[in-house]
Amino acid sequence: MKIKTELINFPEGLDLDSGDRLDSFELMVESYGELNESKTNAILVCHAFSGNHHVSGENSERETGWWDEIVGPNKAIDINKYYVVCCNNLGGCSGSSGPKSINPSTKKAYGGNFPLVSVSDWVNSQKMLLDKLDIPFWSFVVGGSLGGMQALQWSIAYPDKVKKVGIFAAAARSSTQNIAMNEVARESIRKDQNFHNGNYIEHDVIPKNGIKTARMLGHITYLSERHMDLRFGRKFQDDNSKVDHEVDFEVENYLQYKGDKFSEIFDANTYILMTKAMDGYDAAGVSGKLDRSLKKVTAQFLIIGFYSDWLYPPERGKEIQIAAMNNNIKSSYVVLEGEHGHDSFLFASDKYAKIIEKFIQS
Amino acid sequence: MAKELSKIINKWVPAEGKVIDFGCGDGSLLKELMDSKNILGYGVEINDHKIEVCISKGVPVIKQDIDKGINGFESSNFDISIMARSIQCLKEPSLALNRMLKLSNRCVVTLPNLGYWKCRINLASGKMPVTPELPSSWYETDNIHLCTIKDFEELCMKEGIKIKDSVFLDSKGGNGKLASLIPNLFAIEGVYLLEKQ
Repeated sequence: MKIKTELINFPEGLDLDSGDRLDSFELMVESYGELNESKTNAILVCHAFSGNHHVSGENSERETGWWDEIVGPNKAIDINKYYVVCCNNLGGCSGSSGPKSINPSTKKAYGGNFPLVSVSDWVNSQKMLLDKLDIPFWSFVVGGSLGGMQALQWSIAYPDKVKKVGIFAAAARSSTQNIAMNEVARESIRKDQNFHNGNYIEHDVIPKNGIKTARMLGHITYLSERHMDLRFGRKFQDDNSKVDHEVDFEVENYLQYKGDKFSEIFDANTYILMTKAMDGYDAAGVSGKLDRSLKKVTAQFLIIGFYSDWLYPPERGKEIQIAAMNNNIKSSYVVLEGEHGHDSFLFASDKYAKIIEKFIQS
Repeated sequence: MAKELSKIINKWVPAEGKVIDFGCGDGSLLKELMDSKNILGYGVEINDHKIEVCISKGVPVIKQDIDKGINGFESSNFDISIMARSIQCLKEPSLALNRMLKLSNRCVVTLPNLGYWKCRINLASGKMPVTPELPSSWYETDNIHLCTIKDFEELCMKEGIKIKDSVFLDSKGGNGKLASLIPNLFAIEGVYLLEKQ
């Protein structure tokens, strides 16, 4: 399988929603498959909060892509037929311009001074990527969770540049509860004594405890009660494999382990930026009416929710479906079992994979 | 779906209209209407496999159990709603009828006729009817609210629903003379175009 990873520079810069400006920026981009001659087979995959550009297959570090179950040769999104592109979002920590990058004007890492980015900024930067790749339009823009928000925003912001859109385990806006959860996570990062107002790189430290706690909380919200129950129950962790002597139950050990691992790879400022972008997104725009903001949409929608997802429950997808129907958009809304809670969008259950595949082909 | 039935429905659906089909199955009726009348159609279906077939045909579909409610679509301004061979499976058929007429001025309803003479013979012999149109035993069938043509028309009158047009199909699936003359006895299926009064 051919994976192409490249860092693309955008010297023209970007005006951000916040009013700030990035005078230039870079996007880490991964692509799979070949663009056909008529340039009609390009697909953009948008990553969720903690994802990155590495979607499918094994990279040079032998890490498997985050959506490998769905994207690959002969999979639901078939790279033998489609040219699939994904970039690390602006503000990320996997190679694109973000808080860890050097600010050209100060010659130091941006740290806490990296400007706030929004879902719409990401979509605007992805549009610049589309132009740079010299592709006339995406045949499909797709994502789960925060990635689904980007897919929806694509259909609103660039109606003539996208034919079909896949919005999975997502919503047109974050709920009060979503924002509340994210704020607890951010608070744990900010209150880590190593955070230094976001400028921890200068102090040569990492607010690991903060990120870890944030991730542990996040992880609980990504899983379903039933899934956790089936997987861990009230089983005790055996003494030999405890990551911490305070741990009693398997579920504690699991969260500790996952939190630790995450804190080693993820950037604290990116955590704050990404969750802020998620909280701030509202597809309804200034009018506050989703019906109105979908007026110019021409893309077809495929909206998928999962019964076990309590973070972005299926009803949130239904709201998009209703607004789509009110605007005569060809839109389908499917709810699937998915045992993994919010994370269900990552896993290729038979029905899920088939529905995506058929929608792309239809 | 039987040819005759889809032909009748096709006649009633306005060209380029906005259509919702409750219990759309594999989406074949909507696909036909999309191709022949350039409608904008949405199906409502609960079966995942059938949903998958709809999507592969390019028929927009919504997963929803119509028994749990035909609601949430009032704002979409449909020209016509369709419920073919499903109303007898619902817990509250009259509520469903009224809801359908809330989201579109007209609706098409088709239903099997329990008054069909073969059903009556079955009943006369002391057994629940099992016919080619109603093939399941009483303990297996989804049809929990079977009725006769007469019963259905009485319900429409009681609910203030106007029967704008109706066609009765005989056992050959066609629009036979006898079925039109005495539908309650000779029609296997009633096909109705309903309107708010």
